[in-house]
Formats: sequence, C-alpha cells, structure tokens
Amino acid sequence: MGTATGIIRALNSGIKHLATKRFTLRYPEEKLKFVGDGYQFDPSTGVGIAGLKGRHLLFHDHCTGCQLCSIACEGVAEAIAMVKVPEEHKQNKKAIMPQIDYGKCVFCGLCVDACPFYALYMTNDYELSSFSKEGLIYTPAQLQVKPYVAQDSEIIITDRGATHG
Amino acid sequence: MNEIMPGLALQKVDERIMTLNVGPQHPGSGHMRLIVQIDGDYIVACDPDPGYVHRGEEKMAEYRNYILNIPHLERPVIHDSCNVLYPYVLGVEEILGIEVPERAKYVRVIASELNRCIYIMYWLAIYGIFLGHSTMFMWPAGDRELLIDLMEKMTGARVTHAHFIPGGVRNDLPPNFEDVCLRHVNYFEKRIKEYSAVFYDNPILIARTKDTGVLSRQDAIRLGTTGSVLRASGVDYDLRKKEPYDVYDELDVHTNVMKEGDSYARSKIPWLDMLESCNIIRQALQKMPKSGSVRVKLKPNPKGKGLTSVYKRVESGRGSLGCYVVSDGKPEPYRLKLSVPSFRNLIALPYLLKGEKLGNMPSVYWSLNYWPVEADR
Repeated sequence: MGTATGIIRALNSGIKHLATKRFTLRYPEEKLKFVGDGYQFDPSTGVGIAGLKGRHLLFHDHCTGCQLCSIACEGVAEAIAMVKVPEEHKQNKKAIMPQIDYGKCVFCGLCVDACPFYALYMTNDYELSSFSKEGLIYTPAQLQVKPYVAQDSEIIITDRGATHG
Repeated sequence: MNEIMPGLALQKVDERIMTLNVGPQHPGSGHMRLIVQIDGDYIVACDPDPGYVHRGEEKMAEYRNYILNIPHLERPVIHDSCNVLYPYVLGVEEILGIEVPERAKYVRVIASELNRCIYIMYWLAIYGIFLGHSTMFMWPAGDRELLIDLMEKMTGARVTHAHFIPGGVRNDLPPNFEDVCLRHVNYFEKRIKEYSAVFYDNPILIARTKDTGVLSRQDAIRLGTTGSVLRASGVDYDLRKKEPYDVYDELDVHTNVMKEGDSYARSKIPWLDMLESCNIIRQALQKMPKSGSVRVKLKPNPKGKGLTSVYKRVESGRGSLGCYVVSDGKPEPYRLKLSVPSFRNLIALPYLLKGEKLGNMPSVYWSLNYWPVEADR
C-alpha cells in the first residue's frame, strides 16, 4: 500500500465518524444509571449484592455499636470513627455509631462486608464534593438520610454507534 | 556515562555531549526521570531513574491481615487493579487452603480480561498523544468507557475495584450481566478494529516507529523482559498458556507473536491482545456456570498453618506479574514481594535508546508498556 493511499484511508476512517452520534456524556445534565440501589452485603450467605460503591447509608435501628466497621477500616483508610449519638436504641446500649470521613474513605466497601447486622449499605450517591474538610465528615444523622439521585442515562449501542441516552 | 571524579559529586563536562534530564515532571516521562546524554540529536546513553512514587506497598502488607491488604495492593496500577491483585489472591488461597467455586473462577477471568483491555486502552491513548496523534488519544479514551461501565456494573467502582478476595469474588454478577457484557464487548471489538486504518496502517506512524528501538530475540530473553515486549521480539511466552491459572486451561487462548522487535511491533502486540481478550471473554461467558456460589465464607481472621511460602504469577496487561507470600502462621503475611513486569521491561530501555534520535525517545519509552507507579511499588 502506498503512502498516499494509506493517508487517505486514515483520513477517510476519521471522516466517517462525522455522521455518527456523539458518545460523550454531558455530565451535570445527564447522569449514568447504575445497577440497583447500591452495594449491599448479605452476611448469611457471605456474598455481596452488586451495586455502586458510593456514599454509605446507616440504618440506626440495626446498628448495635459493635465497631466492626471501624476495625475493618483501621487497616485501610482510618475513615470511620465511632461517635456518641443522642438518641437511645434498645440494641445499642453504648449509643455509639460510625461517623465517616469521606476525605479519607477509599470506597472499598470492606466496612459493609464486616457489618453482621445489615446496618451499613453503600448507595449510588457519588457527588460528595465540599468547600471545607469538615463538610466531608458525615455524622450518623447525615448518613441516615437516603440520597436522592436522578440517574437515567445509559449506554445505547446501535448499528450506527454507541451513545448515551 | 560521564566519569565521576573521585571524592567529589561532580562530573567531568564534555565539550560535545550534553546531559538532559527528562522528568520527573515532564509529561513525556511519567513519574520518573530519564537522564539522557545527547550528542546533537542522537542519544549516546540513557539512565532511567525510577523511584519517585515509591509507597512501600511490600512493607505495608506486613502489618495488615490477608483481607485488609486488598485495597492497598491494587493501588500500584489502578487501571489494571484486578490483575495486580490476582497473584496475591491465588497465593493466599494456597496458604489458607481454600478451594474456589467454579463460577467465581470464570467471573475472575472475565474481570481480569476486561481490566487488561481497560489498561491497554489507556496505554494506547497515551501512546497516541506521545506521537502527536490526537485522534488516537480521543478514541481509546472514549471507547474505554464501555468497559469501565461494565466493570462498574460488575464491581461497583470505575477503578480500584477491590473485587477479588481469597476464596472467590466479592459479589455475584448483577442480573442480565451476560447480555450486556456480550453486547458491549462485541461493539468494543468492532471499534478497535477501526483503529488499524487510522493508526496501525497509517504510513506516518509506520515511518515513525518501524526500525526504532529494535530489541533482538536474544536480548529480550537475556534482559528478562516480559509480556508484550517479549512477544514482540518473537518469543511465544504467555503465562495464560504456559502456566494456566484458574480456568485458562479450559479456554482457547491464542498468543500473538511478532518477529520485528521494534517500537511498531511492541505497540501492535497489545492491540492484538485486546482482540484476543474479547474472544476469551466470549468463551468464558459461554462456559460459565449459570448459577452457584461465587465466594467461600472466610473466618474473621484467616491464617495459614506453620511456615509456608508460595509464589504465584499471572499474565497482566504488561507481562508476567508475580507475588511471593511468606506466612508464619499469623494473620498477617511475614513477607510479601511483588515482582512487577514494568521494572523488568524498564531494564531494556538503556539498550534500546542508544543511537536513537531524541525525538524517538517518547515512542520507544512508552512502547515498553511501562507503568512508573508499578515499578516503584
């Protein structure tokens, strides 16, 4: 193959893409859809349930203050600290619950695996930016709130190419 | 190299030869420094100076138990995190005496092949921009998103999945994953075949990379290179075929070998590997048991019996990656050693660059499939 033919073929291959739809996801306007509500763990079978490993969700009525999530995090990121909570629960005599510092968290999900009482889940909320370091520390009360995430865009593959739609 | 004068940290200045530091902040070197000595436009000698991103992964591993080692051990190559973790997980399974379920083995093979493609696409994007080919930066960076989306569905994270665990994988595949995976992989294969016209058959690329940085077959073996560098020099060596781990012996793996040993061959072998990975993923999806366990339940602080050591290696996106784990019966490993392909391939660089033009340095350097963070560990 001659040099000229090769260059024309290369240009032609690029020009063909002018007719295809764009693949780029326009992020703040569109958001990708993920599987399920988030990453969960079933301690009875020992297997996790697929989902995005994002911000945690803490169920106050399940948490016993056993500190297993904090122990699991010690060797990874030291992001979890056990703090006093004002409200009283029958199963949580010490009234301590995890507080998570997202400036340190690496989102490995080992704390979710460690929880034997189905108290800690991970949700598909990943927009955690803050103006201050203190804003990244989520107290048990903040972790209790289920996030609202509008995620509807998916990768659609057609004969003419792939798009986000 | 210039002669170092006795007693002083000074070097004799040559009239003709200039010493040039490429890096560690230069975009053409990665997190490392290349001390290049040039005579006009030609490279006389090159001394790679890695170590700027040393994190002490091996020492850190001695203070954490077998499970807590997982998140930090995949940090050296975050794009190829499943393959970095693979030898460690295989080694720990042998120390703890765990039998892995059949379905988990197939899930691991699919995850590691997807990760290999993700890594090579990132590598290819940088290789394109090193050569000034900005289309080849945009296309792989976009098409990589298809596979990252698959990994996200599978593991819940775009990079650093922390998915492999001694005894299987963390979570089962999401429902309907097989169909989505097949659709994405088929489209991905169609896309990367289009790269041949724009990049690999492009006469400008061939003129830039053919016959530059030639590594002969004997030198490739003598210097201990691995992976795509070794296969580009005509040595048919792929651990997926030579020492099959998990279920690779049940799959039909074809290795790609080229005889030239130049930059062009070294850049084409990873691309051919990606096409082969698509075949392996399709085979694995077909042969995978449709249901069953994916993980063996571990005790809280698993530990081995007595003093044992195990060395396991896998074929990563860059070459053979080994992990040596010594256990003395405690929950933490006594010693952990990562034998990484990037460092082995870097050894060839001073030999390849001798006599080349300075303008060819980025293309020869990046064709070695080198990842600085992995070499420093």
